[in-house]
Amino acid sequence: MEAITIVLNGVEVSGYPGTTILELARESGVYIPTLCNDPNLVSIGACRLCIVEDERNGALLASCVTPISPGMIINTNSPRVLEHRKKILKLMLASHPDSCLVCDKGNRCQLRKLAAEMGIGLVEFQRIPQSDTIEEVNPFIERDLSKCIMCGKCIRADQELVVEGAIDYIHRGASVKAATLNDLPLEKSECTFCGVCVAICPTGAIMEKDRAYTGTATTMVTSVCPYCGCGCAITLGVKDGKIIYTRPVPESPVSRGTLCVRGSYGYDFIHSKERLNKPLVKVNGDFQEATWEEALALAAENFKRIKEIYGPDALAVFGSPKCTNEENYLLQRFARGVLGTNNIDNSNRLYCAASLTGLGVTVGYAGTTGSINYLERSQIILVIGANPEISAPAVAYAIKRAVKFNGAKLIIIDPRYTPLSNFAQIHLRSSVGTDVPLLNGLARIIINEKKLDEEFVTRMTDNFNNWSKSLEKYTAVYVEKTTGIPKKDIQTAARLLGEAENTSIVYGNGITQQANGTETVIAIANLAMLTGNAGRRGGIFALQRHNNARGACDMGVVPNFLPGYLGVNDTQNRQKFEGRWNVKLPADNGLTALEMMEAARKGKVKGMFIMGENPVASFPQPKLIKEALTSLEFLVVTDMFPGEAVRLASVVLPATSFAEKEGTFTNFEGRIQSVRKAIIPFGDSRPDSEIIMQLSLAMGSPMLYSSPHQVMEEIEEMVPFYHKVSPKDADTMGLEMGEVDGDTPGTRRFYKGLFPSGFGRFQPVDFTPLQESKNGYNFTLITGSSRYHFGTGAWSQRSSRLRRFSPESFLEINPADAKELGFKDEDKIQIISEQGEISTSAKVSNVLPKGLLYMADSFPQSPVRELFGTVIDPRSKTPALKSCAVRLERITADDQAKGNP
Amino acid sequence: MTKLKETPKINLKEIDKIVESRRNKKWGLIPMLQEIQERAGYIPPEVIPRVAYAVGLFPSQVQAVITFYSQLYTHPRGKNIVRVCRGTACHVRGGKTILKLVKQHLGIEEDETTDDMEYTLETVACIGVCALAPNLVVNNNIHGNMNPKKVAAIFGNYKGS
Repeated sequence: MEAITIVLNGVEVSGYPGTTILELARESGVYIPTLCNDPNLVSIGACRLCIVEDERNGALLASCVTPISPGMIINTNSPRVLEHRKKILKLMLASHPDSCLVCDKGNRCQLRKLAAEMGIGLVEFQRIPQSDTIEEVNPFIERDLSKCIMCGKCIRADQELVVEGAIDYIHRGASVKAATLNDLPLEKSECTFCGVCVAICPTGAIMEKDRAYTGTATTMVTSVCPYCGCGCAITLGVKDGKIIYTRPVPESPVSRGTLCVRGSYGYDFIHSKERLNKPLVKVNGDFQEATWEEALALAAENFKRIKEIYGPDALAVFGSPKCTNEENYLLQRFARGVLGTNNIDNSNRLYCAASLTGLGVTVGYAGTTGSINYLERSQIILVIGANPEISAPAVAYAIKRAVKFNGAKLIIIDPRYTPLSNFAQIHLRSSVGTDVPLLNGLARIIINEKKLDEEFVTRMTDNFNNWSKSLEKYTAVYVEKTTGIPKKDIQTAARLLGEAENTSIVYGNGITQQANGTETVIAIANLAMLTGNAGRRGGIFALQRHNNARGACDMGVVPNFLPGYLGVNDTQNRQKFEGRWNVKLPADNGLTALEMMEAARKGKVKGMFIMGENPVASFPQPKLIKEALTSLEFLVVTDMFPGEAVRLASVVLPATSFAEKEGTFTNFEGRIQSVRKAIIPFGDSRPDSEIIMQLSLAMGSPMLYSSPHQVMEEIEEMVPFYHKVSPKDADTMGLEMGEVDGDTPGTRRFYKGLFPSGFGRFQPVDFTPLQESKNGYNFTLITGSSRYHFGTGAWSQRSSRLRRFSPESFLEINPADAKELGFKDEDKIQIISEQGEISTSAKVSNVLPKGLLYMADSFPQSPVRELFGTVIDPRSKTPALKSCAVRLERITADDQAKGNP
Repeated sequence: MTKLKETPKINLKEIDKIVESRRNKKWGLIPMLQEIQERAGYIPPEVIPRVAYAVGLFPSQVQAVITFYSQLYTHPRGKNIVRVCRGTACHVRGGKTILKLVKQHLGIEEDETTDDMEYTLETVACIGVCALAPNLVVNNNIHGNMNPKKVAAIFGNYKGS
């Protein structure tokens, strides 16, 4: 392509064909005002403020939509341009209220800013006020369309970035406006309250509700959202030591200026009144406030005592996928180097451990193999066992963009109908727990029809013949019978997968929390390798539940690996760290999360340190967990909020939120991003990294790090795939895309499609039907996340707006089932399983097939966990927390009167 | 817009057939909407999502298209459509009075429909037969050189609903 040269304000500049005048002007440092342009959106030339004059013919061109052409002589500030620009802005102001003084947008209003810039005061045109007030009861977004200038940014952001389509223009001419379907309030529309329109609106037409008049932020700090595993960058607005808003970051390579409702409105848990602010020590069953010195001394003394009397393996440590990499690294050093035990695990065991095991044995690399950019460029996207709309919104946005704008075809395997199904080419509604036969069946068809990537399979993988023999039993008829999916649909899906140049497979907790999660992950990896999509072209996208689930595991907060997945049994691996820390490390694998609890219950583990986790809420069988924690001689918990685990602790140490500390999070792609301190720690709380170092000091083994950055330097040195990829300085968004995409050997990604161990290995997996007694339990309950809440609800339930909008749990039930049982919406229901029972209310919903129920966790009042037994995936030690057999009973008014649940 | 006591029942099966015939054809949106309107008399808002997903658009986008074209309606209309011309020539020759009279006879305002679904009253900017001004159009029949007598002759027998 040859560059085109034009004259811009008397200076010759050149750009590639297709570049717009506005883009070239920005590159050259020439300012052109605009209200409707945004680098992440397609330009539409709506506001006309960016007009410039071509001096050859006097044409006034909207520079945001006019590509440069040879010979142009552009003047951005000619008298004619200025005159017209002023007139256009005045016309906007003529239909805009003069309420600037009382408008909360204040000085952030771009309309007002431009008016001031151009010296426009009162407008001489006849005023044509638009009045359109919309009654909205949602606590997130408020619209005042009298301030709308019809730039269309909200509509484009909604359709091009978030791809929700909740709003578009309605009517035409003078009565045109942005509206939802049937012009209903947002809460009655498709709107998901992601807040992107609020962030992008140049005026006060779309505003954050319930935040009005808190003033303007004095500092803005770029950090990472602490909720799900996507790792969207957020800007925290700080005023008077408080976070007053969060905004998406347009430059973020993960989110490209988007967020979800949790990221936009779920931040005020940081300032919750329930925050722990003083160390607490239990004296005779009651908590007393203590100084940090007293609390730490007491903890150190007891850990030392237990270690001396019962040996180091009577101690156990629980890390957190919500804390930073640095904190988790220090924690495992504390467990191994100071306490001397490998009994260390984190709650990712409950969610994604199957990924580590399953991908480890096949592709040899325990995580997502591509970046979100790869995903968006795929031709075929297979989503299995995941509802990214809810559990990983930024991934859902990317998938929807791929379908809508890049012509990608989407295949969904999910028993439920999800919002993403509207975008799918095929939706295979398999029966619960039959993913293995389905994936094997797909692979068999691809092999039989010779649609496999033969070159990749021969050159890059081994064990193909054994594996393909193992598939023989998965004939189309057999698969149709087990999964309940018509043969024809399976065939179509297999052909799509086999014929595409690049395919991405996205999976989530719907796979990894099954009892046969590891097998399913292996089947996914097999399919990816068969079609030549592991590490090059498309990829395997393992969604993670928590913001730093990958990081916690990478940092060795697991019982069998040192940081960087170096096995603890290997002397060489241990020596590497022993030399660095100058201490002898334990050699035997420690206990996994559930084993620890079991050992505690049996009295084998006597002391425990839990960092930022409430196992009573997140584990199955809360009663047993409570029992386990009660049986401990000594329990130290660091947390922000008083959960059940805190109540059972001997010493409670108040920890800070993500906004009060420095460090890094690793997102599901493996991207390491900076978390930055925006405000000073609440009360007497301290970052977990400080707590661990001080506790370690109190136990007589000081760790000498002056800052989290210094810890990261050591991590970079000790963990090969963190080498050179952590954010270089506080101002970068994370690592460079080139580095993520694997063009540098030695980084964590595949290098030009090469597997880390040289070869990918096909592994035969067989179908084992779910072991569940159906004895009278005639429904299958599946659980998952809720759009407005997260995890155990510890944060989201303390975010006032999320809580208000979605206060109570509900059980989704198919209309036919509801009719049979006589349930209507909001009827009170008791859900009973072999293990326990909980109560909630019904919500009739046609997204479910008959016989299937759905309920979200994250509601502490109706803890779904109580219904689950402890069936464990034998390979990853993950408890099956996805589906269980239940029956339903109606709660009558009498029961309630009697005080029954 | 008057609220109708009862929205006429729509035959969803028939509409589904129309939608299916043009599934996945993005260009098929407008013909599809026209066909639905031909069958049902208007485009019932509840069918918008079906139409939208069939052609890979958002329901709000389809609504945007419908509300953009004045030929497409999202509310039921009468059996007979009366359009009174308010173009310049008709205005000069008393079109305003003609409109007033029609309103009196039918008992409805502009853009309203009689309760018995007989008549919908609209105005039109010009129908191109200014020589016959003032004009009004009932369905596809043009009535030129209108005067109060002629208006009464057309609508006089209508007793209202």
